[in-house]
Amino acid sequence: MAKIIGGVGTSHVPSIGVALDRGLRDSADWKPFFDGYEAGKQWMAEARPDIAVVIFNDHGNTFFLDKVPTFAVGVAESYQPIDEGWGKRAIPPFAGAVDFSWHFVDKLVEGHFDPMVCREIEVDHGLQVPMELFFGRPENWPVKIVPIWVNTIQYPIPTPQRCWDMGTVLRQAIESWPGDERVVILGTGGLSHQLQGSRAGFINQAADRAWLDGIAANPEPYRAMSREDYVEQFGSEGAELIMWLVMRAAMNRDVSLIHKHYHAPASMTGAGMIVVENAA
Amino acid sequence: MPDTRAIPDTPLFDREGSIRGYRINKMAMALGQPANRDAFRAGEEAYLDRFGLSAEEKRAVMARDWHDMVRLGGNLFFILKISAVDPTPITQIGAAQAGMTHDDFLSERLGKQRNG
Repeated sequence: MAKIIGGVGTSHVPSIGVALDRGLRDSADWKPFFDGYEAGKQWMAEARPDIAVVIFNDHGNTFFLDKVPTFAVGVAESYQPIDEGWGKRAIPPFAGAVDFSWHFVDKLVEGHFDPMVCREIEVDHGLQVPMELFFGRPENWPVKIVPIWVNTIQYPIPTPQRCWDMGTVLRQAIESWPGDERVVILGTGGLSHQLQGSRAGFINQAADRAWLDGIAANPEPYRAMSREDYVEQFGSEGAELIMWLVMRAAMNRDVSLIHKHYHAPASMTGAGMIVVENAA
Repeated sequence: MPDTRAIPDTPLFDREGSIRGYRINKMAMALGQPANRDAFRAGEEAYLDRFGLSAEEKRAVMARDWHDMVRLGGNLFFILKISAVDPTPITQIGAAQAGMTHDDFLSERLGKQRNG
């Protein structure tokens, strides 16, 4: 069976990609943010994954409001970075883990999920930025990817419990896969931010810091929270954090928190990451 | 029971907003394509007319009234593409949502040092 070598939770703020594109990595605003990711990047290089499962949301780039899948899974050979309005970014396309993706889709449907299955599709910063944060800017990405899109834009968005349930199916899919690939799971989004309404600019550093520890040590309260609880604590767009639950549910109940980093604000967002490994 | 309480000063983009803002958002989504960005630059009003925007919606877009665009159902993720054609920092768009000056927004909401 394939092996889960670790789980990552991380922000995917688009300004991170812009900062890299403009050579601002070591600017006063950004250096503390990027420096804190170095340990995670190092961990990833040593962990040598073959497949990265990336759970993220599209931000009105790939999907319009004419068709809004609650969950979508990619089964493509290759995923191009999408033009978000500023032109296509100069990063390589992402090769798909096609066979494992189809296996995962089978397991999802057997497990009573009904994902949209995507054969030709592009990916926005929600996937690009986490890959850049953990793999840098290689000529070619060293892993194949399985993209999972979660609708967090138009209500109703899925419940935290549903995201958790998807993570349990993801684990079953990895454990029942006959290959010997090493799999890393990246749950992305957040942390606290709000872009709309008169509470725009809301950042909740205390809740963010509690999340980074709590999601590793005791995720149960976060699984049980309502979507409104997420919006209240983390802001309307910070509710993206439900996507970390897919990653967390795929891991053991007990995990070791290997790396943790927090920085606020990155653009208008509380930003950071964790790396966890299954406890022995 | 589903949790349906409203969170103060925090609109959720639900059925109502999605229907209300459909035209604005569709117009903005199309700016993901270079040819449409060129058309927007070449003749903004003619471009907006292609998507059937009302007079009120056109005014909000052409005035770069970020607060009103959202009030009319525009979703930030779509209307951000306007800021790609006509560069506006996202924090300035955020300040417009909050009804604050950009400087006040940066310092009071985001904890940035004031300039000067």
